[in-house]
Amino acid sequence: MDGNGRWAQLRSLPRTAGHRAAETTVIDIIEAARAAGVEWLSLYAFSTENWNRPGTEVDYLMRLVRRVVRKHAPLLLARGIRCRFLGAADPRIPRELAQDFDDLATLTADNQGMTLTVAFDHGGRRDIVQAAKSLIRNGTPADEVTERLFADHLPFPDTPDVDLVIRTSGEQRISNFMLWQVAYAEWVFPDVLWPDFRAPDFLACLHTYRRRDRRFGGVPPQTNGDTS
Amino acid sequence: MTTGTTGTADQAPLFRTQPQFRAFFDDPRWALAIIRATVLEAAHPQVGAALAENSTFVAHPWRRLRNTFLSMRRMFDPDPAVREREAARLNRLHARMSGSDSRGRAYDAMDRAARAWVVATLFESAVTMCRLSGQPLDQDTMERMYAEYRTFLAALDGDAGELPLDLNDFWRYFDRVVEDELEDTEAARVILFRLFDHLPAPALLDGAPTLWAAGRALVGPLLGAITVASLPEPYRRKAGLPETPGAPTLMQGAYLAAGLTRFLPEGWIDAESVIETLSLPPDSDDPRARTVSALRARVKRASALLRLVTPLSGDTGPDPAPTATAATEGGRRSAEEFFHQVLDQTGDGHLDWPDLAATARELATRLDLDEPEETRLYDAFAAWWRELQAALDTDGDGRVSADEYAAAVPSLAGPALIRVAEVLFDATDKDGSGTINADEYRALFRTAFHRDLTTTDGTYGRSAFVGDFLSFMSGRRRNTAYDPLLTDA
Repeated sequence: MDGNGRWAQLRSLPRTAGHRAAETTVIDIIEAARAAGVEWLSLYAFSTENWNRPGTEVDYLMRLVRRVVRKHAPLLLARGIRCRFLGAADPRIPRELAQDFDDLATLTADNQGMTLTVAFDHGGRRDIVQAAKSLIRNGTPADEVTERLFADHLPFPDTPDVDLVIRTSGEQRISNFMLWQVAYAEWVFPDVLWPDFRAPDFLACLHTYRRRDRRFGGVPPQTNGDTS
Repeated sequence: MTTGTTGTADQAPLFRTQPQFRAFFDDPRWALAIIRATVLEAAHPQVGAALAENSTFVAHPWRRLRNTFLSMRRMFDPDPAVREREAARLNRLHARMSGSDSRGRAYDAMDRAARAWVVATLFESAVTMCRLSGQPLDQDTMERMYAEYRTFLAALDGDAGELPLDLNDFWRYFDRVVEDELEDTEAARVILFRLFDHLPAPALLDGAPTLWAAGRALVGPLLGAITVASLPEPYRRKAGLPETPGAPTLMQGAYLAAGLTRFLPEGWIDAESVIETLSLPPDSDDPRARTVSALRARVKRASALLRLVTPLSGDTGPDPAPTATAATEGGRRSAEEFFHQVLDQTGDGHLDWPDLAATARELATRLDLDEPEETRLYDAFAAWWRELQAALDTDGDGRVSADEYAAAVPSLAGPALIRVAEVLFDATDKDGSGTINADEYRALFRTAFHRDLTTTDGTYGRSAFVGDFLSFMSGRRRNTAYDPLLTDA
C-alpha cells in the first residue's frame, strides 16, 4: 500500500488525504481478490518502522484504521472473509483500536471464504525472532529444528508461502514484509500509486503472475495466492 | 438474604403433595412472583435489615439464586430425612444472623414473626401471580396451598402459630402487616431500583459484557416497573413508589405472557437446567460444557459485532474495563479489584463480618457441612476477621474500607488465615485420608482437578492446598479453582 503520500502531494493535499483515499482501494482490492478466487490476501498496512513517522500522521492513521475497521466489519462478515491482524502487538496501538482488531478477528474467525491478513505494526524480522524465541522456550534440540518446524512457530503458522507480492508506486524493496514467507514469491511492481490502484490493475498483476515461469529452485509448488 | 432462601424453599412441600403444582416450579411467572415476594419480604424492617447486612444478592446474585434453588429442591425431596436436614441447616444459618439496622433497631433472622412474614409473602405472591395472569386459583386449591405453606413454616419453626389457621384470617393478617409494619426499607429499594440495573452477568455470559449490559439496560428498568406495579397499593403509597402510566398494563401483560408458556410442550422450560447452565464456569468439564462453549463463542461473536457497529462517541472514548485488564496482567489483580470481587461479598463497599460469614456460608453450603464442622469453619473465619480487623481497621469504625485494605495488603497472611486454610482442608477431606481426592475436590470446586495442579497420583495434599488457598487470599493471585468459587456473580 505505497504511494499515499505522493498521491496527496501531487494534488497539493496533506499526506493524510492520501491515507483517506487509500480506503476505497482497500475495499476495491478485497472485492476483486475475492471475485478472482484468491484465497489468501495480505495487506501491508503499517510496518514496525512506520512508527518513525511524525506523531500527528501516526495518530491520524490509527484513527482512520479504526474507522475503516468498524465501518466495513459487517461487510467483511457478510462476504465470508476471515480477517486477522499480523503484528499489532505494540503498546503504542491505542487500546480501542486493539479491541476492534480483536473483535473483528473474533467475529470473522469461522468464515470459510478468503483469509485476509492485515499486517499492522508488522516486521518480518520480528516474526522470525519470535519463532526462534518460541522454539528455545519449548526446549527444542538444535538438531530437530527444520524449516517446517520453524515455520510452525511463526505467527499464524497456517499462512502458506506467498506466491505473489504486488508493491505499488514503483518502489522495489522488500521493506521487512513477511520475510520468511516470501522466499519464493514472484514480485510485481506497478507504477500506479496505491490510492489509484483499482481492480483492473490488480487483475493485470494476476495476469502477469500467471505468465511467470515459477521454478521454486526445486521446491515443490505451493498452492494459493497471496498479494500485497 | 437467607430469609429469601427459606422463603423460596417453602413452596416445595406444596408441590410434593400436589403433583399438578410441579408445573409451578418451571413456570416463568414464578420469576416475576419471586421478585415481588422478595420486595415484600425486604420491606419488613426485620427482614430488610437482615438482608441489607448479610445478603450477597447484590454482588453475587446468580450464585445466590442457585443456592436458593438447590435448597428449595432439598426441601422438596421425597425423603423426610433430607428435608429435616435442610431445615436444620437453614435454621443454623439463620441463627448466625442477628444484629441491628442502620437506625439501631435489633434484628434477628430467627424472629418468628419475620419468618412467618416471609412464608406469607410467598403464598400471597403465588396467589397474586395466578390472579394477575388471568388464571385465578379456586378456593379449594388456595386453601390446600395455604395449608402446605403453613406446614413448611412448621417444619422450620416447630409450629406455624404465627400464621393464622384459617385462610380468611390470613388475608386480614396480610393486609394488616402491609398497612402497619412494612416500611420503605433500604433493602426493598435496592431490589427495586438497583439490583437489576447493576446485575452482573452470570458465569455463562461473563465473556460478553457488552451484550449483557445492552440487554440489562433494557430489561432492568422494565422488571423494576413491573414489580412496582404488582405491589399492594397501600405499600406503594407508603413507600412513595412511582405510578408510571402504562405500568399496570405492562405488568399484567408480562404476567399474562409468562402464563402463556403453559401452552408450550412439557419440558421446554426447566428452571433447574436454566439455572445450572447459567452458573457453568467457563472452563468447566461438565458434559454440557461443549454446547455451552459453542454458545459462548456465538455470544462472543455477537458482542464483538455489537461493539463494532456501535457508533463511535468521539474518537477516544476511554472505557474502564481494559484498565482493569491491564492491572491484572501476570495473574495478579489490584488490591481494589480483589477487595470488590472476593472480599466484599455483600457488595456494600466495606469489609465486615457479614462478608466473611457469607464466604464461610458459601463454603459450608458447597461442602454440605454438618455440625460440628460447620461451626469450626465459621470459628476459623471469625478468628480471621478479628485478625483482619486488628490489622486493617485503622480508623476504628469496626469495618475495613477498600482504602484501608489497599494500604495494608502485605500483612494479610497471618496465622488465622492459615488456620482457615487448614480447617477448610479438613472439611473438604471428608474421609480424613489426609489428601483430597477427585470427588472431594469436585464437591468444593464443582470441577475436576485442573491440569496445572500439583497433583501427584490423583490427589491433592494438605500443604499444596493450604499454599494455593493462601496465594489466592493474600497474594491475590488468580486461581482457576477459587475464582469461580468466590468471585463469580
